[in-house]
Amino acid sequence: MDFVLHLPVIGLLLQFVGYLVVVSVQNGNLIITLATPIGLGALCGFMNERSGVVNIGIEGMMLTAAFIAWYVAALAGQVLPAGTPGPLGITLPLLVGLAAALAAGVLVSALHAWLSITVRADQIISGTIINIVALGITGYLGLLISQNSPSSAGNFSSLSLPAGVDGIPVLGWLLNTVIEHGPITLSMLVGVVVLQVLLYRSRWGLRTRAVGEHPRAAETVGIDVIALRYRNVLLGGLLAGLAGAWFTIEYGNSFQGGMTNGRGFIALAALIFGRWTPVGAVGAALLFGVADALGTAIRQGPPTGDLGTFLTAVPPQLFSALPYIVTIVVLAGVVGRSVAPAADGQPYERESKAT
Amino acid sequence: MRKPRYGLGAGAVAASIILAACQGGGAGNSTSGSSSTPSTSAGPSNSLKIGLVTDVGTLDDKNFNQFSWEGAKKGAADIGAPAPKSVVTTASADYAKNIKSFVDQKFDIIVTVGFALGNDTTKAAKANPGIKFIGVDQGVCVTEQGEPDPSFGCKGDGAKLLPNYQGLVFKEAQPGYLAGIVAGSISKSGHIAAIGGTKVVPAVANYMAGYANGAAKVNPNVKVELQYVSDQPDAKAFNDPAGGKAFAEQLLAKNKDVDVLFQVAGKTGNGVLQAACNANIHAIGVDVDQHLSTPESAKCIVTSAEKKLTKAVSDAIKRVSEKTDKGGTVPLDITTDSIGLAPFYDFQNLITPEIQTRIDDAMKGLKDGSVDPCKPMKCS
Repeated sequence: MDFVLHLPVIGLLLQFVGYLVVVSVQNGNLIITLATPIGLGALCGFMNERSGVVNIGIEGMMLTAAFIAWYVAALAGQVLPAGTPGPLGITLPLLVGLAAALAAGVLVSALHAWLSITVRADQIISGTIINIVALGITGYLGLLISQNSPSSAGNFSSLSLPAGVDGIPVLGWLLNTVIEHGPITLSMLVGVVVLQVLLYRSRWGLRTRAVGEHPRAAETVGIDVIALRYRNVLLGGLLAGLAGAWFTIEYGNSFQGGMTNGRGFIALAALIFGRWTPVGAVGAALLFGVADALGTAIRQGPPTGDLGTFLTAVPPQLFSALPYIVTIVVLAGVVGRSVAPAADGQPYERESKAT
Repeated sequence: MRKPRYGLGAGAVAASIILAACQGGGAGNSTSGSSSTPSTSAGPSNSLKIGLVTDVGTLDDKNFNQFSWEGAKKGAADIGAPAPKSVVTTASADYAKNIKSFVDQKFDIIVTVGFALGNDTTKAAKANPGIKFIGVDQGVCVTEQGEPDPSFGCKGDGAKLLPNYQGLVFKEAQPGYLAGIVAGSISKSGHIAAIGGTKVVPAVANYMAGYANGAAKVNPNVKVELQYVSDQPDAKAFNDPAGGKAFAEQLLAKNKDVDVLFQVAGKTGNGVLQAACNANIHAIGVDVDQHLSTPESAKCIVTSAEKKLTKAVSDAIKRVSEKTDKGGTVPLDITTDSIGLAPFYDFQNLITPEIQTRIDDAMKGLKDGSVDPCKPMKCS
């Protein structure tokens, strides 16, 4: 068996797959954590695009929510008693911050919904405006506030399993990887399953798909296209709000200008890669997490032997680029096809008004 | 680069918006966009107009940009000049444009912050001999014609060719060395780490080398992990706290006995500090006193390897005002009290008299030149 690993190409490939598995297993918990903002952002995109509204403003929505979560939680921390943190490190100020982040996500989404559904503006432009304005305004306010910023209200902590669970073979690892997370990450894990089931098994899911594929037909059977689009875009705002809050009150504990660092755009790529389904999108987000962990692992200590020699010879940028290359391959239809909802990005006009 | 095209485009547009707002602010006395005018109580007795262009990032980075800005404000106040103005750069393509906005408004002193602005500052200094330029973290390196020298031959005499350009260069290896002395002394496992933004910025690599050398000085058997988050000076290297935290967590998971972590990665590094706190190990901050600048992580920051940016910038402004400024590279090191270690605060009792003696000896050695912080590991 050993000689197989020394064969020129196949051996190297096998070694690489083995290494990939080892890195993914060792960093399972971290990969899910890193996939959270991307996954939630992609779910926000899913809610929008499956009902026919393109949303490239996820980055801006996340950034706004991240700022609001941090600032409101810090302000709340000054007036409200923090008390002893409950399970998951939940305190009153953090909950207030989270609620504010959700509200901010919905509010920004409302702007996007109004522009792209009611006004029927170009949806790409609307999203771009949100990104630009969010970057500028949160950066500016962050600067103003940092002059005498209230101290951070802290952040949610991860669920801690009883001692000893980690020691159980396989199950211990699985529990650590999937369960030991903060509330926002856990809600993504639950949310993706719920949305996937609803999309294919509920009246709402059927209507959403209909409105995203052929709104005219949906309207003729009595579905209110405008109302459904509004509802879905606003609900998507909740998910973007959660994603933003992850940065400042779950994984991190303070706000910095531009801290989302393009993850809202990666979320879009994940959505496309995941073929506009919740499970696919979050799966893609996990793949981005794996690519990240792999790049870091190679940087911090490449494996020894042939594989190590090979991996260190490859420019490290390639590993960070890998998920995007895969996305392009999928988009190009080389490996399976990824087709957007037919009415994605098209404003809907009621027939009676269209004359 | 992970940031897709949209992000860059958005950044560029945002930069132009900020710039436009700033120019508007320059005409009146309103503060709009990202330009800030802190009020000074003393009336201006000096008419020098001071402008500051940051590197990519924000004025509130609690680090490099922010403390240079504090220096500009202090310098202006000290010489009785009107409060300075600032432009925040959001994309590296805008460096020249942002400098030019101050040139066009006929500013007298333009401070540019960061190694990456060196080229554009050199060009602007050559084109505008009447304006004084102060470059933070910029060694003046020019050809014999006074042009920026991409090959770093530095044949030209910066002081003669560009007498209006002071390049402030800190010897980062020195504070890095002192941080290494502390880390090597307080580590129980003899295994320590440092996380830098990117190797291509000499300041970062020098901090890291000094750190390794300082630690090796006090403990010849010390194991030092030196890791860089990115290959280029991008947002991932210096502006991604979540990414920095994940990078540090992965490092600590792989090296479980690391018990001191030094960050040299700007805002990305603030995530590194947070990871150190969560892992209950000691952290060392960089550039400024991070006990004060990142209170969220103060409970695990033992000290910080400091560059006294505020003092360096305000001193340079004062030299211009007193007409004692000279062009060329202005080296800033321990002999002028421009670098050092921040106070230990709650960790004072961790620093035994023996450790304090080591620090004092190292500082003395750095001052009289008997200690070279760039040996055995070379600086860049």
